[in-house]
Amino acid sequence: MANSSLVPPSSQRLPGRLKFWDAHGGNVSPFHGIRDYVLNHGVPGPNDTTRLASELRIPEATVRGVATYYAEFGTLAELAVCDGTSCRLAGSTELCDRLDERGGRYQKIYCLGFCDRSPALMEKDGRVFLQEDAYGFISGKGGHREDHGNDLPMIRGLATKNVVTGRLLKGGAPGLDAALKLGAYDSLKAAVKLDPGDLLDLMERSGERGRGGAGFSTGRKWRTCAEAVSDQRYVIANGDEGDPGAFVDRVLMEEDPHGILEGMILCGYAIGATKGIVYIRSEYPLAMKRMQQAIDEARAQGLLGAKLLGTGFDFEVDVFSGMGSYVCGEETAMINAIEGLRGEVQIRPPYPAEHGLYGKPTVVNNVETLLNVPFIVREGAETYADLGTEASHGTKVISLNHGFANPGLVEIEFGITLHEVIQEVGGGGKDGKKLAAVILGGPMGSIVLPKDWNLPICYEALSRNGVQFGHGSIVALPEDTDFHGLLEHWIEFMVHESCGKCVPCSLGSQCAANALDSELTAAAKKARLDELFTAMEQGSLCAFGQFIPNPMRQLIEHFGDRIFNEG
Amino acid sequence: MINKATINGKEVPVSSGLTILDAAKVLQLEIPTLCHADHLQPEGGCRMCLVQCEGKDRPVASCHTEIEPGMVIRTHTPEIESLRRTILTLYEGSGEMTGFTEGSVMSGRFRDLMETYRLWNGESEPGEPTPTDESHPYLRFQADACITCRLCLNVCEQVQGQFVFGIENRGPHSRLVFGAGDEFAESPCVACGACIDVCPTGALFDVDRMTIVEEAKHTETVCGYCGVGCRLDVVSEKNRVRRIDPVRDAAVNRGHLCVKGRYAHAWHHSEDRLTTPLIREGGSLREASWEEALQYITDRLNQIREKFGPDSLGAFTSSRSTNEACYLLQKLFRSVIQTNNVDCCARVCHSSTALALQLVTGTGAASASYTDFEKAGCIVVAGANPTEAHPVAGARIKQAALNGVPLIVIDPRRIELAEYADAHLQLLPGTNVALFNGMAKVLIEENLANLEYARERTEGLEELVEFLERVSLTEVSLITGVAEDEIVFAARLIAKHAPALFVHGLGLSELMQGTASVMTLCNLGMLTGSIGKPGAGMLPLRGQNNVQGSADMGSMPTHFTGYQPVDDPDVRALFQEYWGELPPTKPGLTSTLMLQEAAKGNQIKGLWLMGEDVVQSDPNQTEVVRALENLDLIIVQDLFISETAKYAHVVLPACGFLEQEGTFTNGERRIQHVRPAVEAPGESRPDWVVVCQVAELMGRSWNYDSPADVMEEIAKVAPNLFGGVRYDRLAPDGLQWPCPTSSHPGTSTVHEERFLRGKGKLVAVDYEASPEHGVEGFDYLLVTGRLLEHYNVGTMTRRTPQQDLIDRDELEINPIDAANEGIREGETVSLGSRWGEIDVPVRLSTRIAPGTLFLTFHYPESNTNRLTGPTLDPQSKCPQFKATAVRISTKGSLIHD
Repeated sequence: MANSSLVPPSSQRLPGRLKFWDAHGGNVSPFHGIRDYVLNHGVPGPNDTTRLASELRIPEATVRGVATYYAEFGTLAELAVCDGTSCRLAGSTELCDRLDERGGRYQKIYCLGFCDRSPALMEKDGRVFLQEDAYGFISGKGGHREDHGNDLPMIRGLATKNVVTGRLLKGGAPGLDAALKLGAYDSLKAAVKLDPGDLLDLMERSGERGRGGAGFSTGRKWRTCAEAVSDQRYVIANGDEGDPGAFVDRVLMEEDPHGILEGMILCGYAIGATKGIVYIRSEYPLAMKRMQQAIDEARAQGLLGAKLLGTGFDFEVDVFSGMGSYVCGEETAMINAIEGLRGEVQIRPPYPAEHGLYGKPTVVNNVETLLNVPFIVREGAETYADLGTEASHGTKVISLNHGFANPGLVEIEFGITLHEVIQEVGGGGKDGKKLAAVILGGPMGSIVLPKDWNLPICYEALSRNGVQFGHGSIVALPEDTDFHGLLEHWIEFMVHESCGKCVPCSLGSQCAANALDSELTAAAKKARLDELFTAMEQGSLCAFGQFIPNPMRQLIEHFGDRIFNEG
Repeated sequence: MINKATINGKEVPVSSGLTILDAAKVLQLEIPTLCHADHLQPEGGCRMCLVQCEGKDRPVASCHTEIEPGMVIRTHTPEIESLRRTILTLYEGSGEMTGFTEGSVMSGRFRDLMETYRLWNGESEPGEPTPTDESHPYLRFQADACITCRLCLNVCEQVQGQFVFGIENRGPHSRLVFGAGDEFAESPCVACGACIDVCPTGALFDVDRMTIVEEAKHTETVCGYCGVGCRLDVVSEKNRVRRIDPVRDAAVNRGHLCVKGRYAHAWHHSEDRLTTPLIREGGSLREASWEEALQYITDRLNQIREKFGPDSLGAFTSSRSTNEACYLLQKLFRSVIQTNNVDCCARVCHSSTALALQLVTGTGAASASYTDFEKAGCIVVAGANPTEAHPVAGARIKQAALNGVPLIVIDPRRIELAEYADAHLQLLPGTNVALFNGMAKVLIEENLANLEYARERTEGLEELVEFLERVSLTEVSLITGVAEDEIVFAARLIAKHAPALFVHGLGLSELMQGTASVMTLCNLGMLTGSIGKPGAGMLPLRGQNNVQGSADMGSMPTHFTGYQPVDDPDVRALFQEYWGELPPTKPGLTSTLMLQEAAKGNQIKGLWLMGEDVVQSDPNQTEVVRALENLDLIIVQDLFISETAKYAHVVLPACGFLEQEGTFTNGERRIQHVRPAVEAPGESRPDWVVVCQVAELMGRSWNYDSPADVMEEIAKVAPNLFGGVRYDRLAPDGLQWPCPTSSHPGTSTVHEERFLRGKGKLVAVDYEASPEHGVEGFDYLLVTGRLLEHYNVGTMTRRTPQQDLIDRDELEINPIDAANEGIREGETVSLGSRWGEIDVPVRLSTRIAPGTLFLTFHYPESNTNRLTGPTLDPQSKCPQFKATAVRISTKGSLIHD
């Protein structure tokens, strides 16, 4: 899920929470121990729970809670079938049906991040089969079965200056040599000569806003963290790109890991942190591998670690693997996961910038957000601020799914209209299909009808029109979309991903599924869904429950006839 | 409108940290909640407390939203009410998935809310109710009544610190789990019962709360199960205790209790309670009338006194009885019989502590209070196991540690608190003095001591510094078994976070170097400038509920009431005024010496044992039994035929703490009012009444109408400590002495401005190995102690369902030692010391280090105290229970012995 700081940090916070984990002093997360066990043996029984609890020094009930929270724990089958929105629209259900017929063991996953080439499958060893290859794989016959997981999607840079995709446009630079040739770490080398305070000023002047979805000022978040009194601070790169339809973070982590690392180190330098964590969802094994390789290479070259670049500054980075929870993209849930707890959201305030990982001030930034930082340092805050619009500086990488004639990633400058992206860049619907609408910004985003495509892509215009932009994914909805199936899929996703912390979301989602499935009349179903969606929007603790109903409402509003006429 | 907000049109002052829910309470506005409790961190899950806040996009949760100046809040708009109603429908609406069935909810907050929102269908029947989990002796869980509100989980974590509960799965599949298994009894639950009090649906309940008490009588009193002194609300019906609740706002326990205080009350109606006096006739005890028994006692006391002199008689007051009973028994012996042979069980527990504190600070009691647990910058727990022996205090220490307060545990066992500690110094039993000297050396050498405090407020610094120069850390490490760097680390940690709170127990006191252990610990307290400061100081955890009080009352052979020396002329003049007759100026014998004298057939001929089971609780049982067999008169006041009562000449049926009025003084010097909740069975009489009746038969007219009258006299004879203590001042939370005048509020921190003795005393005492150390052929050191589930010799707890939790004493042995000895888990071994031998089953445990063993003394069958020997602290006469040289032999090898 998007990193959704909707409210600025408050000066006062409620008394600190009490966590068993604090007793561990924050050295090694017990999460690893539980994950290793579950991946090999499944959910632990009573004896092994007791043993794990004693080894990891956490309570038995916590072991159980964590082991059963993460969707992938214990169920990682040989084969993962992507059931993200794009793949669902491309026929993932059909793939599953065929697998069922063959008695194949598989697991549905939200999502593998190959939305430009849906549908997608991944074997346990990380090999990815896309589109025709996926069908070929399922049929079990010869023919096309090639692993295309390493292939870059189509990448276009349409901004005056391509801030984020610079190295991607040159074919990507996963290795250090290639990255260095393409300017990686130049900004860091310059920045370590600056005062950290100057770096904070620079970031604030740049006006960058978080790319995860909430659009909170990056510079202000950094300053809050830097000014919180503490002996330790952390930087977390949020690589938990959960929005089905979005795949930019996957490609960035795979193809420009050094750019992300450089952004993290710069952040650490500015806020006075010595430790960084890249949280990567387990659905992205290649990203995890590339990121880890990049860390090792950078450390070997003295770009990372103690007294990096010969300065007095120490900074270490680790990769932390998620385990299949959309809500863990929310910063407080992510912090819980890293601490070895259930990936449930926490009450905010306090905000992580003041009271984050292990209770210490923590900056959680999306990986794309961090990739902007070296550019800002290199080119200056003013150059950066000149890009985009009044209130939305810089650029954004948009993910276009396979439903467009020209799918892939495109870096645009804020201010360009949706129409330009959908029709001119995306080339409209695939195979000339007319689009009924697009899903902008994933499951917590918006359904945007063609009549509204003249809206410019920028925070101010979109929010004025009640449109959620999320992480910038666009999924095409052709005229022949099965809208009932889409709503069902959406509700399934909501039930599956609700963390269980608050009642409106955890129980409301199930009640919505029950309502859709019920014998009620169309009108009664709509009324009950409306009531439930209101309770979720008005009553949920975090952005997930508050925002996920809205696009479903829009679906019902615009396509209600096609959803309910069959029942 | 600065610093003000409005709720439903009413103005409310705003302050930092105040939530909207708190503010609404100030205005007496009720906002519904299902997952909130005032003493817990907000959970924010149920969303019933949503309120409308002007200017916000959506309602805010009042439980975790701080109220800000200018906020305009409405708590019951139609939209909000409709939202709440919808949210309430979700539980039943998703029940198929969550396993929840509305019909299984019997009562509680949830049902009340459903009724308020007209959602309760009174006819709703549970379909096929899931079976109730009845695996635990007390607790019950009805899964389909659970709404996973997590109040149980939060109270368990944030109050008891036990982490029993968890949430399994996610979203609508979330459900409550406990421990590792399916049954409650398998979980690490310690049955404090806090979860029962907060459960909003009754999914969690207990055997005492299963039925509604129709003619409930509520009695506010004080728990009799340890020196913490928790306040209880005892609910009784038809002279039976039906349930015990904690008093919500009690200063001591703040609405919390432990398993013993809450559940272990069945002893009061146990079938083997004594109901009439008994007199020995021939070889056995026969029933007698009170008249006969009291006359018998009077006659025998008079006869022995005439024949052998007053000093042939002695009394042990009871630390489970009231201050008033203790005061009167020592008064009877001192003024009527005219001997100073009065003592109490403090002799065999904290006498060393009391003496040491008296010597170095000027008073033999805690300088600090329980409220310091939350104020402390650093806590040192030495020779105490609070989470078992003082559970409510232990829970508070655990919370402090969980909240980041540095904790140092000094104990031969890896006690539960050690799991939460920054450092655990696992020393060899009986080597405290060496360790504390080593730590003091680090403080001085590394210039970490608060020398300003030491110079200004203490004496003896130079001698101590000089002495410490000769102490070698390497040697300390060899003696104690604690690595040098650990000693240094701990000393530095304490110094960094000083002033520190020193919580200590019998692991220091019950040793040959008991007094020295406590004095050297006080050295650390003074060198770190900790004594006399809030959040810091010395806090011995007293064992019995009124062991502080029994000593305060003068149950010691050297001092009158209020720690006033028996030979001080001014003191004697004061007592002369109120008593009219006085004992000699010569101090009497301690309890241990009285028993030794009796065993030798010397001076002591008769003893009055008020509730004291010396056979099971005193060391060197063989000698104790010999003493009792030699005596001409043993008077026992007790609830049951104890091991000691079996040797008595007369046994008097007594009243327990639920059955008599008086006061108890807890370990923080707090005198609290004890009230009877039920009547004692049969002809049982309160201890204090019996003493008065004997005095009357001996020709004295004491004329106390009530325990309150006795307290008035206590205030007069010991005005410095108790001058302001009167029954009408004891509500609600009692008074902490010193409380010299009727307007004095009592004292939380003693020695605040100056030490009661003027200057604190630093002492230079060297470590000395006890006769139990290094005994050839006895390779193990045995530590004795208690478990959470039982109380001392178990007289009361063994007669309750606690028996279903723990039903025997077990020897804890490290698995490495067990392997070397070829001993299997559960096997019964023979354990022998130079003083006796017993058979005991074994439990393998890594809580104990190789070379040391641990054994409880709750069960008479175990005869644990046959093993403990005659070694006493030469100053306090406290026996060495905490280090006895023993050897183990498997039963098989015994045959060949």
